[in-house]
Order: sequence, then structure tokens, then C-alpha cells
Amino acid sequence: MTATDTPMGTAIRAAAADIKLSAVTKAYDARNVVIPPLDVELRAGEFTVVLGPSGCGKSTLLQMIAGLERVSEGKILIGGREVQELEPKHRGCAMVFQNYALYPHMTVAENMAYSLKVAGVSKAQRTERVAKVAKMLGLSDLVARKPGQLSGGQRQRVAIGRAIIREPGVLLFDEPLSNLDAQLRHDMRVELADLHRRIGATSVFVTHDQVEAMTLADRILILNKGRIEQFDTPKAIYYQPASVFVAKFIGAPAMNILRVTGDGDTLRLSDGQVVANYAGQGNFQLGIRPEDIVIGAGGRLKAAIRYREDLGSHEIIEADLAGQPLRIATPFGDEMDKTSSFSFAFPQTRLHLFDAETGRAIPNSFRQAEAVRRSAKEYQ
Amino acid sequence: MSLESSLFSHRWLPLLLAVPLMSLIVLFFYVPVFQAFYWSFFLEQPFGGGSQFVGLQNFERVLSDPEFWMSGWRTIVFMMTASSLAVVVPLMLAVAADRKIGMSLPARNILVWPKGIAGASIGVVFAFIFNPFVGIMAPLNTMFPGLWNPGIDGTDAFITLVAAHVWSGIPFNFVILLAGLRSIPHTMYQAAAMDGAGPWRRIFDVQLPLILPQLFLTFVLEFTESITSVFALIDTITEGGPGGSTTLLVYKIYVDGFSGYDLSGASTQTVLLMIFVVLLAACQFVFLGRRINYER
Repeated sequence: MTATDTPMGTAIRAAAADIKLSAVTKAYDARNVVIPPLDVELRAGEFTVVLGPSGCGKSTLLQMIAGLERVSEGKILIGGREVQELEPKHRGCAMVFQNYALYPHMTVAENMAYSLKVAGVSKAQRTERVAKVAKMLGLSDLVARKPGQLSGGQRQRVAIGRAIIREPGVLLFDEPLSNLDAQLRHDMRVELADLHRRIGATSVFVTHDQVEAMTLADRILILNKGRIEQFDTPKAIYYQPASVFVAKFIGAPAMNILRVTGDGDTLRLSDGQVVANYAGQGNFQLGIRPEDIVIGAGGRLKAAIRYREDLGSHEIIEADLAGQPLRIATPFGDEMDKTSSFSFAFPQTRLHLFDAETGRAIPNSFRQAEAVRRSAKEYQ
Repeated sequence: MSLESSLFSHRWLPLLLAVPLMSLIVLFFYVPVFQAFYWSFFLEQPFGGGSQFVGLQNFERVLSDPEFWMSGWRTIVFMMTASSLAVVVPLMLAVAADRKIGMSLPARNILVWPKGIAGASIGVVFAFIFNPFVGIMAPLNTMFPGLWNPGIDGTDAFITLVAAHVWSGIPFNFVILLAGLRSIPHTMYQAAAMDGAGPWRRIFDVQLPLILPQLFLTFVLEFTESITSVFALIDTITEGGPGGSTTLLVYKIYVDGFSGYDLSGASTQTVLLMIFVVLLAACQFVFLGRRINYER
């Protein structure tokens, strides 16, 4: 059932606002720079996931947009309005917190209606809005309860209800699913995606979980030590990682990164095996995803198996390739010989080449997969 | 049962371990309480040597004495004003110290120190501070002669007592209330800020409701304790004067018993005071305690 099917469904609908950060900086002192000058534009109605390891500054970034953290320098524009000096309530944002941060002494209805109450909305209107939001989130039977009487998933829904009741132009999520168990997390992901479609607010979602990022995002902003590593669609990030950091961060198991040397004609491993043809000279980092490696099929490469993990649907083989670890994911149903060494090939179109020093991708090194271009075009 | 027996192999060991503390409690609490009840039904000789059962005559005598009712009323007035202030003042200090304002860290430390000072010492200091000739009110007295003199004005004396009591109550209540405030998750304030509540609104909508358990604790302890702990202050500052205006029940009991040697009358008043305190605490739990949400 979609939103437009129900009369209630269309009731909560936000006027999405775009967010523009220009040279936004967060520094506690000269040495303690959390976020160096950062420029980014989030389109109105877009679902952006900010992804990065803990301590990369992603939560700080979110709190600066919300107004809970001061901006050291730079400007934040929400819907074209400069907001970096405004109080949180004047920015038109709402936020869902990691630990829900529900008011334990208020009922579900009071929790959701609190922002309206502060804003001076009449009691009758508040009740009406709470009823709408509660119905939308399947909380209608729980409005009289206190947060302490709810399950984790229900609390999460209340927290979302509290955020959307004012129909904010911007919805901010600070790792909202990390306190839930695996099944609930999956269900809430689906619900959040659906909710985003129905409400249409510009959403910024902070997480360290790549699955959440890949499934929810229109675009993923990958942050490393406060700097943007890549800001692109999930597909582009998966197929064309802009750096070794991104390549290793997205995908499970992570992309293999091998040290190789170019002799102007081919790329070789330290033991002399040729892994690819490439015109460049010098040291490089070569990336290939475990699932892209083709076993057998007359492959020229050879490696010794160290360890095998059978996961049922596929098998992960940990091998030793010229002294470097290599992970290979076998395709579904493939039976491997129980030999200690095996041959395989790296398909040229699935290789990624990175600078040995900076870790940045060297684009168009090999002919990239067609699928990527298609998906990139679709988005634009 | 199995848990207990695995922890203590000996049946009498737990009791044995509790004996030192239990004997102290019995010796210094239950025995005197029993004694007070016992004496309130007897006429005691001032210097020992036999007593005579008189039934309820002691109670008749005490309850028909206007002095008893006067000091009882003063006790209630003191309890309401001093105890309320002794919670409200630390509450304001705790809310301020909890915020990230300048000097809040040293303040959190310094405000605890008075806890280490005995009531009698506080009394002596406050008697000096509020002295009409050399204390802080002395300059006002030179401008408006006779404005402040706790030595002859009962109200002034009473105010001095209340001030001393509030000051002595600050550390403990401050610590309890600040601990309550500190345990409120930071995101709760952030959520309230996102909901549009300003700092003042957050105090009343988020902070106070969430420290109700601590507030309740301090109120119960204050109201029940102020009745007896004020003795040291009265004894050092006013000695019940001027004209009995600061003779609260606890001080009257002391004077009747140890100056007037009316042991039976003092015991009877002790019993009445005890019953009042127990009823007061019970009422607080019945009418307030049940409404408190201990969930976080």
C-alpha cells in the first residue's frame, strides 16, 4: 500500500530544502581539527548517507547542520538561507538520535507532540497531528504508553514520529538503527526507505554500516578524517571507488588491494606473475573485489590456499598471492577442489588501479564495466 | 535458599556479621525510643528513684499546654520555610553548576565543602555573621537603626535560624540533585533543543521531571531531619529566644527535660514529635512517592 492510497498518507509531507555547506570547518583548536574546510551540496529531497569509520567526523557534521554544534568557520545554507548562527529550532531540521532520546516521563503522544506544544500549536491540532503520525507509523495503539513500556523498534518509530510531526524540510538521522538487532534493522531500513518516499524531506543519515548506506542512499558521502573521500551513488561507489579507502570500506568481504609494479607494458607482482596489461611505470595499488576473481578457466595466476570459509551460499577462500593476502568469493554453487593451490584470473574490466602513495584512483586504467556507465547515466 | 546456603555455609554467620551494627542501632535508637514511650506513661522522679504509672495524664498535661502548641506551630513553620529553601536553593545551584557556564567545575567542588562542618560550628559562625553590630547587617542598622536585631526581634532570630539551616543543607542536597542532573543523557537536551525548547523551558520540561526521584529524596530527608537537626543551631545562635520565639519543639523538649527536669513531659513531647515525623514521611510517600517515575 502506498502513501497515496490512504487519505492519511499524504497528510505528512514536507517541503524539502536543499543543504549547502561551503568551507564548513570544525576545529577545537589549531591541532584538533575534526573537519577541515568541507564543501558539499545535498539536493532537495535527496537521501544522503554519510558513511565513515568512527571518529571520522560524520556525527559532528550532522550536529553542525542541526545546530547542536557550533561551526568554527564557513557557511551552512538550508533552502538558500544561511543558518550557521541560528538556533536549532529556527533551522527547520528534525533529528532522530541513536539512543532515541525519548522523554521518559512523557507518553508516546506527548513525546511526539512536544515540539508542537513548544511552538504553541493548539491542543486539538496537536492531537490530530499525533493521530496522523501514529497511524502512519503503526503506533496508534501505543500513544498512551510511556517509552519505558515499548520495545526497541517501537521506540525507534516514536523517535521518527517525533521528528516528522513538524514536517521538517530536513530530516537528520544519527545512526538510528545501531541499537536494534539484525532483523529489526532490516525491517526499519525498509520502513525508512518507504517513509522517505512518502514524506520527501531532504534526509541526511549518518552511519558506519555500509549495508544501510548501500540500501538507503540516493548518494553516499564517504568521510575519512573529516575529508570527503567520495560522494556518489551507491553503484558508482561500488564499481568506481575513488580511493583505496573507499574500495576497502565498501563491500564485504573488502576489496583486495595488491602492491604491483608497472614496467611500461604489464603490471607484475613481486614474484614476477603478470596480473594485468598496463602502460604505466612504477608502483601501483591494484584492486579487485573477491567476487570478481574467476577461478580456473585457464587462469594464469597461481596462489596457495591458506584458509577456506564455507558460508553456504558461497565460499570465501583466503589465499596467499606473492606474499600478499588475497580473498576470493566463489560464485554460488561452485565446488572447489580441495587442493592446496589453484589457478585463477583477474578479469581486466573488473580491476581498479590506485596511486601507490596517495591511494587515489587512476581513472580509465582499464576498460570499466558497462553496467557502471549505465547506472551513472540513469542517475543524471 | 540454595543461593543463600551456597554463600554462607554457616546458618548463624549472617546474623553474627550483623550483630555489631544491630547492637548499635538497638542501643542508640530502639532502646531510647522504647524508653521515651515508657516514660510518657509514667511520672518520673527528676533524680531517679522510682516512677509511678499515670496512664494518659502526661499526654493530657502536654496537650493542654499552650506552650506546646506554640512551639509545635513554630516547628511546622520552620519545617515549611527552611526545608523548602534548603531544597530549592541547592536545586538552583545544581542546575547552574550542571550547565557549561564559567566556574561550574570549581563550584561543583566548593559547594560540597560545608558538609564537613558540624551544626554547632555553623551556628556559632552564623550568630557572628548576623550579629547586629558587627555582622553583615550592621551597615543597614546604621542607616535604619533598629532594622535588624535578632537579639530582641523574634522574626529576625527566626530568619537567622532559617538562613543557617539552608546553608548547612546545601552540600548534601546539592550533591544529590547534581548527581541526578548529571545522569540525564546529553542527547535528551539535544532532542529538546531540536524540538524548539529553550534553556528555561528545558529546565521545567526535561530536567526537573527527570530528577523527581532525587527531589523527592531530598524533600523527605529535609522535612524529617530539619525537625531535629535544628537543635544545634538554636542552641548556639538563639537559645530559643528572644522570648521563646525560636523555641522549636526539639529545643523545648531539651529545656523541659534537662533544665526543668520534667522527664515525663519531655518524653511525652518526644513521643508526639516522633509520631508527627513518621506520619509526615508516610504522607510524603503516599501522596508524592507514587507519582514518581523512576524509569530513565
